[in-house]
Amino acid sequence: MNQQLAGFAPTPTAARMENHGRTMLKVAMASGQDLFARTGSMVAYEGFVQYEPNPPAVRQIASQWVTGEGTPIMKCSGDGLLYLADYGADVVVINLNNDSLSVNGTNLLAFDAHLQWGVEKVKGMAKFAGQGLWNVEISGTGWVALTSRGTPIVVDCGRGEDETYVDPDALVAWSPNLKVKGKRSFKASSLVGRGSGEAYQMAFSGQGIVVVQPSEDSTDRLRIRH
Amino acid sequence: MAREFQRGHKAKISDLTPGTDLYVGVQIAAPGLTFDISCFGLDANEQLSDDRYFIFFNQPKSPEESIQLLGAQAGDTQSFRVTLDRIPANIHRLSFTATIDGAGQMSNVGPGYIRIVAGGEEVVRYAFSGSEFTTERAVMLGDFYLKDVWRFAAIGQGFDGGLDALLKNFGGEVAEEQPAAQQPQGAAPSFGPPAQATAPPAFGAPAAPPAPQMPQVPQPAPSFGAPAAQAPAPAPAPAQPNPQMHAAPTIAAPMTPYGQPPQPPQYGQVPGQVPGQMPGQAPPGAPSPYGQQAPSPYGQQLPGVPQGIPQGAPPTGAGLQAALQPYRETPTGQRWTPQNQQLMRVDLTMGGTPVLARQGSMVMYQGKVDFSYKGAGFAGRIVGNATGQEMQLMRCSGRGQVFLAEDGAHLHSIELQGDGICVSAENVLAFDESLQHEVRRIEGHGIPGGALFTMQFQGTGTVIVKTHGIPVVLPVTPTTFADCNAVVAWSSASQVILSSQVRLRRNAYPGHSGETVNLQFRGAPGNFIVVQPYEV
Repeated sequence: MNQQLAGFAPTPTAARMENHGRTMLKVAMASGQDLFARTGSMVAYEGFVQYEPNPPAVRQIASQWVTGEGTPIMKCSGDGLLYLADYGADVVVINLNNDSLSVNGTNLLAFDAHLQWGVEKVKGMAKFAGQGLWNVEISGTGWVALTSRGTPIVVDCGRGEDETYVDPDALVAWSPNLKVKGKRSFKASSLVGRGSGEAYQMAFSGQGIVVVQPSEDSTDRLRIRH
Repeated sequence: MAREFQRGHKAKISDLTPGTDLYVGVQIAAPGLTFDISCFGLDANEQLSDDRYFIFFNQPKSPEESIQLLGAQAGDTQSFRVTLDRIPANIHRLSFTATIDGAGQMSNVGPGYIRIVAGGEEVVRYAFSGSEFTTERAVMLGDFYLKDVWRFAAIGQGFDGGLDALLKNFGGEVAEEQPAAQQPQGAAPSFGPPAQATAPPAFGAPAAPPAPQMPQVPQPAPSFGAPAAQAPAPAPAPAQPNPQMHAAPTIAAPMTPYGQPPQPPQYGQVPGQVPGQMPGQAPPGAPSPYGQQAPSPYGQQLPGVPQGIPQGAPPTGAGLQAALQPYRETPTGQRWTPQNQQLMRVDLTMGGTPVLARQGSMVMYQGKVDFSYKGAGFAGRIVGNATGQEMQLMRCSGRGQVFLAEDGAHLHSIELQGDGICVSAENVLAFDESLQHEVRRIEGHGIPGGALFTMQFQGTGTVIVKTHGIPVVLPVTPTTFADCNAVVAWSSASQVILSSQVRLRRNAYPGHSGETVNLQFRGAPGNFIVVQPYEV
């Protein structure tokens, strides 16, 4: 039995964040290098890691994001190995090198605490705030992990004059320098998007990238369970 | 749609695609294991008579560049570019192999495949999984071979030893000839350049590191390639090249100096996708090479170094762009282009006909595209369907690219050229408006909702079908049955009969509600059905 399972043993740590399989994230924790992770995303840890569910820093930076249930992210600190996952979603590890990225709140799994970050409602998309369409803008040099339901795709904006329109439910991340606006869909008679008549797209223009997942499901699976 | 090969299937390349400039992608992964995927260019006797046609991480291309190693991309662990009409005449077979680097066995391998892509479209795929293997450490995945014309065969043959045993298999006997045959060609130089060639592209920006490595090259070279060793001193007994040659790829000692070039390609692949690769590689010989560019490579299990940047940086090139590289949009060029297994892009500018797509399946679009509700005509035909199963379509027209996906389901494009196919309405994602389509009901007791809706397509155009999981394509035989919830599509020449075996089934599975109805298919040979591993 052991032998068959041996193939799934963790591999030697080679970086701060790594994939273990498609859907699990392994983070090498060290004291002094704190991590922000989605509340409830921890599936296992090894070593001495502590979790702070309602970190004051988050309350400060993301006060609007905080609901009665507390903050959607927790602070992890300590030494050891931390395993995170989000209900089988694909995990994408990004090593920011003085870059910045805007991430849909529901698609953010973890990021280094020393990165600069801020939270804002997606402009023109107030309507979606209730669904958790908050975007977290992260910049600096460090590691970020995103989740995507299915293999994501990265598209360049600014190819030609045309804007890129994305279904908000499928949006994962984008370059913050892109101009974003909400677009109510097309003709009155058309019904695009999930549900009835709620045909909203987000229009991106400028130079940058947009990351999209092949699924229009952005329901927040990681809610704190009391 | 790409043809799915089973082990042992063969076909002429020209039957698969008119192109000769082919992309060969291999996906193979297992947690904690690293794979070396190589291509052996063999002569008519299936021997590796010319080392320069052993294409692997240390030698990424053949001399005339007819076979090139491309690294990981588009979801493939490793990929090659093969230009058939430039392959020299003495090469009769290209054997694509995967070997486990280090310990491990093939039975741990997850689902993988070898596929051929021509002109941006996948033309054939041979999928395998670890369950087909046991303790092997290498596997021959597929061969291109020359028999009048180039053909492709799905091999799927395990091999007990690792890369060394494979090498012995292909070239062991040749070792004796090599000293003689190879010297004039100057094997030593041929080994040198590849080593350099590997380094710069792999490392990307840093120009410095390759330089310090250079001096090393001559020194490892002899230890690595048997011919190189021979060149200066042809005297040594033939026995000698043998062990050396085989020892080398095993990542034994001689490898370590060369360890540098091989590493990066491995890392390059990884970014998000195939984690197992990375760490498996870590122990052998990596630290020293990386040390040159990155001060603290591995040891930092719990890094005092923030982000272990040295790690991520050199291999992938660091930064956002590099990390997302594997997920890049594939270039345009065709009307329907799969972006990955779950996402399809249609370029409305090409072909000019609008596309009908399931409502809500658009995840993104670029350009000026009009979406309109496709009502009446289509919905009207489903009138009478009280169950609400009717399908809502939208019409995409204009110019631009539309990206379609739904719930992460696997998408398959089926190109019709005058033939017909029936697709269960739930599994239709999109299709060209130029196709004639017609909705049919299959009625019967026991079908949930009273009837099964299928759409029959005919004409010339493409249908995108979605399946949950990887489907199976079965030939229609006198005894072909499928669960009506799991069947996805069938060739429209086959006849569907509601199977009357409900009762039998109920008895066979006590406790079963008995409501399941099976569909039986009849048809001439050549018809097929597609079934997904998911009901409802």
